[in-house]
Amino acid sequence: LTSFLEDGVCSYLKLPFGEQKKNVDESKPPLPFSASYFMFNKLSAWSRDRKVQSKLLTPADRSSRVLFQFISSYQPKYLLNPLCLFCDVLSRCFKTKEERVEIPVPESSTTVKITTYSISGTTFATRHFEIHKKDISFVPLAPHILSLTPDFSTSTLTLKWSDNGSAFPYGLDASWEIEVLRKETMEDVTRETYNSKLIHEDIIHSWNWKSDMPLECTSHYVKIRRYINITQFDGPKDWSDWSPVEVVPGKDTEPNGSGLFPQDTVVAVGSNVTFCCVHKEGQQIQRMSYGAKDYPLIRLSSRSSAIRVLNANASSASGTNIVCTMSEDWMDGAVLFVGYGPDVPKGLSCETSNFVIIKCTWKPGRATGLYKVRGTKYSLTESISGKNVSCEVNEMKKKHVCGFPVLADQKTYSFILGASNPIGQTEASLLVDLNQRVNPETPEKLTASGNSSTSVHLRWFINGSFAEIRLLCEIEISSGRSEQKVHNVSMPGGKFSNYTVQLNALHPYTKYQFRVRCSAADHFWRWSDWSGTLEYTTLEAPPTRGPDIWRERSPSGKSLRIFWKPLSLSEANGKIVSHEVSCYLLEESLEYKEVMEPSNSTEIKLGRNDCVISVVAKNHAGSSPPSRITSVELPSDNVKTDRAVAMGNGIYISWNSFPNMTCGYIVKWCHSSGSEPCSVDWQKFPSNTTDAVIKSALFRPGVRYNFSLYGCKSSGYQLLKNVTGYMKELPPKRAPNFTVEETSSDSILVKWEDMSIEDCQGFLEGYRLSFAKGEKDALKPRLLESGNPELKVKNITDLTKKSLKILDLQGKTSYQLDLQAYTAGGLSPPNSLYVVTKEDCKLNIPIN
Amino acid sequence: MCGAAGGTYGLTDVALSPPGVVPFVALLLLQRRPVAGRALLGTSSACPTNGLCRANVLEQTRRQVALLNATAQDLFSLYLKCQGEPFSSESDRLCSPSGIFFPPFHVNRTTERKEVMVAMYKLFAFLNASLGNITRDQEELNPMAKELLNRLHNTTKTTRGLISNLTCLLCKHYNIFQVDVSYGESSKDKSAFKKKQQGCQVLRKYVQVIAQAARVLLPHLSPA
Repeated sequence: LTSFLEDGVCSYLKLPFGEQKKNVDESKPPLPFSASYFMFNKLSAWSRDRKVQSKLLTPADRSSRVLFQFISSYQPKYLLNPLCLFCDVLSRCFKTKEERVEIPVPESSTTVKITTYSISGTTFATRHFEIHKKDISFVPLAPHILSLTPDFSTSTLTLKWSDNGSAFPYGLDASWEIEVLRKETMEDVTRETYNSKLIHEDIIHSWNWKSDMPLECTSHYVKIRRYINITQFDGPKDWSDWSPVEVVPGKDTEPNGSGLFPQDTVVAVGSNVTFCCVHKEGQQIQRMSYGAKDYPLIRLSSRSSAIRVLNANASSASGTNIVCTMSEDWMDGAVLFVGYGPDVPKGLSCETSNFVIIKCTWKPGRATGLYKVRGTKYSLTESISGKNVSCEVNEMKKKHVCGFPVLADQKTYSFILGASNPIGQTEASLLVDLNQRVNPETPEKLTASGNSSTSVHLRWFINGSFAEIRLLCEIEISSGRSEQKVHNVSMPGGKFSNYTVQLNALHPYTKYQFRVRCSAADHFWRWSDWSGTLEYTTLEAPPTRGPDIWRERSPSGKSLRIFWKPLSLSEANGKIVSHEVSCYLLEESLEYKEVMEPSNSTEIKLGRNDCVISVVAKNHAGSSPPSRITSVELPSDNVKTDRAVAMGNGIYISWNSFPNMTCGYIVKWCHSSGSEPCSVDWQKFPSNTTDAVIKSALFRPGVRYNFSLYGCKSSGYQLLKNVTGYMKELPPKRAPNFTVEETSSDSILVKWEDMSIEDCQGFLEGYRLSFAKGEKDALKPRLLESGNPELKVKNITDLTKKSLKILDLQGKTSYQLDLQAYTAGGLSPPNSLYVVTKEDCKLNIPIN
Repeated sequence: MCGAAGGTYGLTDVALSPPGVVPFVALLLLQRRPVAGRALLGTSSACPTNGLCRANVLEQTRRQVALLNATAQDLFSLYLKCQGEPFSSESDRLCSPSGIFFPPFHVNRTTERKEVMVAMYKLFAFLNASLGNITRDQEELNPMAKELLNRLHNTTKTTRGLISNLTCLLCKHYNIFQVDVSYGESSKDKSAFKKKQQGCQVLRKYVQVIAQAARVLLPHLSPA
């Protein structure tokens, strides 16, 4: 059977052969042909005239025809010039010399007579048979492929064809079966069905197919057929014949075609990939390897072989090499990049620091293993405005950043961050109200100015346009004088503006460190980074009080030395440049001196006179109130010297209450350091005080300090008592020097010297004399370390005693003597002597 | 690991910033093949009359060649490692320099000094461009291989310093300010495999030629 084509129409109806046979009169000789019955519809006419189309449903439509086509099967002699006469039931006859004829579609059924005439015109045979409309098949004509286009880079074939829909009624379902074959032997690869709807127009359809084998490896063939579900037709419907085959030739068909395919492909981990090696005629492939492993060859043609890599592992950054080794030492290769599609971006967050750019950050998630041109590309799309930007990211960094311009009059942004690489694509989304995502730029150009000692104007610049929000700025205030403070200030934002704030209640002449950070005031999101630290010293103010002063008359009594202590920073309020010292007798100034820093004392020659001394501290801003002290020293009787108690961190002094000391007490002492004259120090106490722990950074353990307690009366100062003591007593530095004055056969008399106060390092409490038999022998252990059971110890607590006689010793015996001094701080190192008692012939008395 | 940066590379400050030469002065390079890498075009029509060479330029040139010779094999080995198998195991076949352009270097110890200098200039001009290509390709293929990239960068810098020194020597001693230079084929539009292979072929040939250059140069660069 062949298809029939007229006026571009490619449809035919086919009667099943079984039905045809049924209508043939079996008793008559067979017709000299086998016959099928075709109906031909002039569908092309329908497309021009819709009224005609509706007549399709009417079997009596004269535009419908059955096409008879005969195919001679035997008796060819009769077919040299056959003439057939078809007559239907209405006695309409159709003559033909061809092997086909068309007749109108019967209304329901019709009896057809076919008469075959010989060349001479005589009837050769006549046959009657009946045709039923429901027995006529609808068989579309084979479709025609318009194009078959290969995309070698993606191994994709694109097939295009026209559906000739204009020849059919609107809305018919059409199915298209497409078959792909490959290799010279045209092996089936796939057969797929494509469905469409005919819309009474000629539509060009396109179908893509991705080959699992590079198209260069071998030739690929494609053919197509169709099936139209023409519901208006009563008879059976069938697939059309296949279209002629279209071919995409492989490289192995080109005379000089060669190479390894595919090149530079990117696939997902776990993929199956086919590589082929196409070579020239006469060459032979020795082996093909993927990475370090050889794979079995799959022969595609005489010039092409392939390997199939299953479940590919992730490749290194530079990809996995595929190498084809030929017999003549010739190698060709390709690189496969195996990685992952991009992960969904993690932790997408967007904020603005200046209302010019929105900065979005995210983490890329799992590494794709693909870089540079194959690396993940990001784009940021804003759905409301429809704008998008592509993001330049540094793939080596763990956190990615992308900027998006702030759009005028838009506060809400709906971001979609798209991530794509050759393997796939993902996205993450974020809805942002920009006013709630403000992380201002770091304040810069921080400066300070002021004309007061207790306030300052701070000024800074923020590079951004914050005119539509309020800013909350935090000012950190640090100084060595007080704890760090934070001052918050809310202010209207500006456009690339400077911001100013005044800080009050500062201390005069104090070095402050200021730094600033800001955030949005109404919707806090994040603080900016801190600005750089600004150091600023407030202006000076006059000292708040006069210095603490003391005076001492010279031993001759003719001059008076006045001492003052430096003011603390908070009292000085500036840099003290000098002290004014005046001496008044009544209202008369006897002497005036200005003593420049850093002196802390001065001498006034008074003779035997007394006066009231006034000391004023001065800085650049002014003078302190005066401190006053009288030079009058009241006489004292029976001044005693007491011992102070060492407290470890200070020296405890106590005294009786002296009711007539109306203006308090003064404890004065002197620090001595080497050859320098000792420096006077003092501490004042109110009248109700009877004890104190005197502390000084200059006190050292083991050093004796002498204190003088003065009482203050309105008429002058009176020495009440002296006190001596240690901050901490230490063991004496050494033992006293001692000598043997005399020995007998049973006794030894030793004498020792006094010790200096410096050597004592504490109040001396006694001596310890240890003795036992022993000879001067370095190999023997020292006396105090020996644990000798015969060791005897004498404790001398009478400090006036400077000698001791040891009795009851053995004659002509060597003794070791150790002498130590001790204080509350412990024992000194010992001084040792070895003494041999004299011989006693009469008695040998043991030592008790 | 190819991607790990580690170890030290034996380049001295001399290589990075040659103290013995004035800033890079390229001789006129006449292009015979497609240019790969930077184009080094000299504009002067004569040697500068003074200030071209500083002291000890001969010694410095010798040291630069010695440095390249000392580091070439390691560079090649690391390059192979970073390309993945079978480049290391099949380097003889994959990296065979036959079929690629490489400037001829037919000199020996008896060759006239001037010819040696010209051949050296052609060699290192070619190498400089080729190293530029290889570095660019590897930055694309092996962005994580910091050690390899460092070595390529440093070798390129040394060749650049060497070219400057040769420029000065040719000008000063032979008044040569024009040398025809041929470059290899650009790898820019080639496949990843061809890029790897071309780099491997050039570096393998480089290892051989730099050793020869070091041997030949010793007598020629000794102060006369």
